Amino acid sequence: MNRTLSGLLLIFAGAALVLLPLWANSGLVFLAGTTMVVGVFALSWNLLFGYAGLASFGSGGLFSIGAYTMAVMLRGGFEGQFLLLIALSTLAGGAVALAIGIVALRRSTGIFLAILTLALAELLRITLAKIHWVGAEDGIPNIVRPNFSIGLATVDLGRGNHYYWFLCIACALLVALSWWIAHGRFGRTLRTIRLDIERAAFMGVDTHRYRLVAFTISGAIAACAGALFAPWAQIVTPDIGNMMRSTQPILFTLLGGASSFWGPMIGAFLFSAIEFSTRTLVGIQEIITGSILLGVVLLFPTGVAGAWNALIARLTARPRRDEATSAALQPVKE
Amino acid sequence: MFTLVNGLTTGMAVFLVAAGLTLVFGIMRILNFAHGAFFMIGAYVASTLVGSAPRSVLALVAAAVVAALVVGVLGIVVQRFVLRRIQHVDEHYMLIATFAVMLVCVGFVKLIWGLEFLSVDPPPGIDTGVEIFSLFVPSFSLFIISSGVVVFLVLDFVIHRAWTGKMITAIARDGWMAELLGINVPAGIMAAVGGSFALAGLAGGLLLPNQTLSPALGDTFLLLAFITVVIGGLGNVRGAFIAAILLGLIDGLNTMLLPAYPGVAVYVGMVAFLLLWPNGILGESRL
Repeated sequence: MNRTLSGLLLIFAGAALVLLPLWANSGLVFLAGTTMVVGVFALSWNLLFGYAGLASFGSGGLFSIGAYTMAVMLRGGFEGQFLLLIALSTLAGGAVALAIGIVALRRSTGIFLAILTLALAELLRITLAKIHWVGAEDGIPNIVRPNFSIGLATVDLGRGNHYYWFLCIACALLVALSWWIAHGRFGRTLRTIRLDIERAAFMGVDTHRYRLVAFTISGAIAACAGALFAPWAQIVTPDIGNMMRSTQPILFTLLGGASSFWGPMIGAFLFSAIEFSTRTLVGIQEIITGSILLGVVLLFPTGVAGAWNALIARLTARPRRDEATSAALQPVKE
Repeated sequence: MFTLVNGLTTGMAVFLVAAGLTLVFGIMRILNFAHGAFFMIGAYVASTLVGSAPRSVLALVAAAVVAALVVGVLGIVVQRFVLRRIQHVDEHYMLIATFAVMLVCVGFVKLIWGLEFLSVDPPPGIDTGVEIFSLFVPSFSLFIISSGVVVFLVLDFVIHRAWTGKMITAIARDGWMAELLGINVPAGIMAAVGGSFALAGLAGGLLLPNQTLSPALGDTFLLLAFITVVIGGLGNVRGAFIAAILLGLIDGLNTMLLPAYPGVAVYVGMVAFLLLWPNGILGESRL
């Protein structure tokens, strides 16, 4: 029952997103596209947090690496090879994440990893803001939306809503990939490590290597989201990887629920909806966003997805009621 | 030499902000994301009191003290309603909760003081410079350096020499046992957290001149204060003091040697420090 209902909701939400340009104005379409990209970005972060138990506060840096790689390549005139460029940006993000992971993960977790990644992302942002080759503070404007060709068919992504639909497909693929990673053997091993690292090591799991791979995959997907975002926004600036960007996935994930795979996505759309509906109220917007977040952390530590699952479980199965309530009380449901 | 003075000024400014942050961590084990926002509120309150041109140094200090009181009271409110409830949950949820508090604070600042940039001049008496060994030093720098040192000495006395430090240590180590021994634990925590927040307000007031006030003010200082606190060892005031000086000097050298890339060396230095001493130079401390 729970599965069917949630699945139906998912299909409904997906269909609504795909059909959005048919009735909504371009501002709303842009917002929806952005939300999809940052939703995927948040998913990549939760792959690290919810499954490997590592909190990075510098994911914005990897997002901006992807975006800048894409922007520089498109400016360099490689528009014909759009798919290749996405792959290249993804690889760039993965490589940087791997390098950081090799140095950082063995020594530090918890708050130290958080601060270290925060500092690295900030370092990248400051450096980008000073390099004239990538436009310094002004960034790279007028990024073209290139042509996209598979075999014989060529689609001009610059026209109309083509890039939006391309984003829909790309994000769906990335979500499917994340789902596959999270629910396969790899994801299950990661959860074992998060729950009890000593026991996992005792059972013969190379915990350091698993965490490093998770860090790399998460970084690669974050960079991929950045690469998709650059032609969508058509401008990249150093602020694309600022502290707010790094905290975005954290907010989305905790609002939506870190224990659920879909939590970050739900959080991203809820957050966008709140921001969109309060966009004209200067100051009040922050107060409302902050209060909602505070309320969620204090009252529903499992996030919206956790509250939803608990509600469904309570509605559908009366005898299992106490199980649902106890699940709602735990900060992270296993 | 000029680099040294500049570096020390930056360092002490950062220390003023970092002191409260590290104290809250020492007492409650919470890394407070909202600290920068409270620093900002302190600055705004003080600027409302003194106007854009304060009349004397005394007026500025008085305004800073009032700001400290206001922010201290706010801190007690936040402690009662938020911090106390999240003390025993996963540390990531603490970061999120305090981040939410920060958003609320920034929202209120935008509502009350608006989005325009405000600025405050240094008051007469410290608006010029003095010559020390044929070196022109802005007296406002001296003011900040001495404020930092005074705040450090007072804190060090309160924590390591006076009975208050012992009491707070007892509460932070084992609240239940401290309660059995007849210590009023809730009042102690409240006083200590209120004091830590008051430090943020005080810093806001003292650092007010030569500062552009905008709702983004908190972020700049927050990150530097985070770095200081982590390098110095979480919860360790002495460590934070040393780390702040080091950071200031690194930043000063950076401005001198690499003027094209301001602020880069601080982060490079921090990454190096974190990798070499992951627990901070003086180690983590529970006060």
